[in-house]
Amino acid sequence: MFTTGSKFLIGATVLATVSAIAYGVAQDGVMGTVGLASAAVALAFLAGVNIYVRDSNVWDDEISAVETAPAAARPPADSIWPMAFALGAVVVTVGLVTYQAVFIVGIILMLAAGAEWTAEAWAERASADATFNAEVRSRIANPLEFPLAAAIGIGIIVYAFSRIMLWLSKTNTVVFFSVMGAVILGVAFLLAYRPGIKSRAAFGTIAVGALALVAGGAAAGLDGEREIKVHETTEGVSEEGGDICASTEEFEADEKASQSVGATAAVAATITLTDAGELVFDVNGPVEEGTDSLTLPRSNPNNVLFVNESDEDRRLSLDLGTRVVEEDGADEEVPFLVCTALVEPDGEQNKTITIGAPSFAFPDGYSFFVPGVESARLELVVP
Amino acid sequence: MESASTVSTMSRRAKLRGPAARIALVAGLGALVAGCAQDAPQDTWDPAGPNAEMINDLDWIVFPIAGIVGLIVLTFVAIIVVKFRDRGQAIPEQTHGKPALEIGLTILPALILIGIAIPTVGTIMALNETDDTECIVNVTGQQWWWEVDYAQQDGCGGIPEPIVTSGQMVIPVGTPVLVRGTSRDVIHSWWIPRLNGKRDMVPGRVHTLRLEADEPGIYAGQCTEFCGLSHANMRMEVVALEPDDFEAWKAQQLAPYQAPAAGTLAATGEGTYVAQCARCHQVNGLEDADGAPVIARPDLQVYSGAAPNLSYFMTRNTFAGASWDLLTDECRADVWEAPPEEFGERYLEGVTADCLNSVDLREWLRNAPAKKPMYADAEKLEVTDGLVRGMPNLALSEDQIDELIAYLLERK
Repeated sequence: MFTTGSKFLIGATVLATVSAIAYGVAQDGVMGTVGLASAAVALAFLAGVNIYVRDSNVWDDEISAVETAPAAARPPADSIWPMAFALGAVVVTVGLVTYQAVFIVGIILMLAAGAEWTAEAWAERASADATFNAEVRSRIANPLEFPLAAAIGIGIIVYAFSRIMLWLSKTNTVVFFSVMGAVILGVAFLLAYRPGIKSRAAFGTIAVGALALVAGGAAAGLDGEREIKVHETTEGVSEEGGDICASTEEFEADEKASQSVGATAAVAATITLTDAGELVFDVNGPVEEGTDSLTLPRSNPNNVLFVNESDEDRRLSLDLGTRVVEEDGADEEVPFLVCTALVEPDGEQNKTITIGAPSFAFPDGYSFFVPGVESARLELVVP
Repeated sequence: MESASTVSTMSRRAKLRGPAARIALVAGLGALVAGCAQDAPQDTWDPAGPNAEMINDLDWIVFPIAGIVGLIVLTFVAIIVVKFRDRGQAIPEQTHGKPALEIGLTILPALILIGIAIPTVGTIMALNETDDTECIVNVTGQQWWWEVDYAQQDGCGGIPEPIVTSGQMVIPVGTPVLVRGTSRDVIHSWWIPRLNGKRDMVPGRVHTLRLEADEPGIYAGQCTEFCGLSHANMRMEVVALEPDDFEAWKAQQLAPYQAPAAGTLAATGEGTYVAQCARCHQVNGLEDADGAPVIARPDLQVYSGAAPNLSYFMTRNTFAGASWDLLTDECRADVWEAPPEEFGERYLEGVTADCLNSVDLREWLRNAPAKKPMYADAEKLEVTDGLVRGMPNLALSEDQIDELIAYLLERK
């Protein structure tokens, strides 16, 4: 009659069909019913193919195969993987009612144990020869196990190392990094030039070092990171009421401005401060140079690239009218300016601007300007 | 001598072959007949502009080659599956190494791929050219509609003030148009099959595409990147007009606001609009009782930060992401099936009271999410910090709907 695979697929088809009907009637859900009905059709197709090819390799009429097939042989040893799989299931259950991280660990444990269990069970039935079967298992599982184990090991060490580096003060991280580098280099040198050192001693040294690193990382992680000062930004200064966008002075936010990433591949417009002190813009398409107003879409994150062709450090500022801020419990209307950091001569910087209100919301509209250069002004139209 | 079980198995196989062959035949014929569809506004095999023509020409090179290769491969697969399937026979003799065959089977596909690559790369490069475009149109995708805006420019015959519309992009016939596209929320994809290929619209990036139509008409398309619950309801159209008609359309879009006559239902509708709709939808020129401009702030209400500009709502003939017609079926047919020389005039008439498809528009105003799914679960709004995705149900009364429709009918 039907082969094992066919029975499974026929059963799955019936289940999907019944589920589609039950879901459709009970939930009145079109999408779910269509999904389940589609699954039923797909499974029916697979079942048909499977019936036709009869599981590809098992001649089901050979009743004797039930006793002589490798699957009938007794497994060589007990396996830890069912237990590990069950442990994973328990961790998943605990994770469902506690923390997401625990749930994820349980899922990973279940997947790993399931994979190992599958590979082992399959290999044990490869032949009647246990040695050969162990070899088969290694051939299948080792290419996955070794890189994964290495990745996990490296990940743990890197993570532990990073916790230590973030726990130490800025100066001590340099010292620690130098000492660690020297120690690793020394040990590697010793192992390479003293082949007489027993492998057990070498392994022990490395294991102790790794253990110390992991323990140190765990302790540092629990104690937390050192206080890291966040670099000031032009937005931050502006929101706190600073007049950075109207100033030619250098603020902390202007330091290392070149670290700002320029999204040059997706700029909506390039605005250039010429050496004649004018602001001109360029957009992709038929807009002639010299046009005195730039149009940018409303509510879009527009990338604007500022190019400074003048001889001095300059920033590009944008006057967006006014905004309402809460001051001592009362609403207050204040100027709304955004700007780039100071850009060195011949430098450039990207600024992403998202504008919610149209320019006709304010009597004077919007305009780009460069603090300290009176002639550098460009109207911005936002429809 | 065959055993009883073998005979029984063969009989079962013979029974299975019958239905399978019939199903395959019906499926094959169905696929073949589908190619004969007449009412197919999104037919890539019916190009209506030079860019789509280039793609079509390439198709006629690639498809026959791919079809022949596919047919050969599938034939061999079928022969092998049937002829060599397991019948319990002994494993045949294993052979290794046929250098001439292996080299031949490597060189032949390589030559075929090179043959396909040369015209393909040439076409891709030609399609990416934007230097010769004469008009800029920005398109921005958001869940689940397209905004179309025309920046101030010298192109498009000159546009002195920005024009903002949605759902329908209007372009002049015979003019290469540069589409600059982006997205305000998730990735969308712009595709007008009869005018050019697809272009993904990605938040934070500006992607370009050329469009050009040979003849006046409406060219349909739809978003082709799954973008959420109403992805299937995110449609768009390109309307191509003769240059004179395009100038007339621009004049329509730049006309000053006309307030409804006092005491009319539309005048009451203006107040209803300000109270119910103006938080998100902009009508240019509309002023409040104090004479201040009514400014929509969709960025404070909607996750994407935008809602369709309704200043000239009735000059376009679709709404809600071009998913429903503003015209009745008869009036729609008058426009969509108009001969090219009459199309512009009929399109520019816009939507009149007699032609308004009030059924769909009323349903939309009554409960927009019921007509076009906006979000499956209201609790999911938490992830958007309380901002809605799409248009919410405003719980308007029937009287308010009457007033709004009267007001909107004058928006042209």
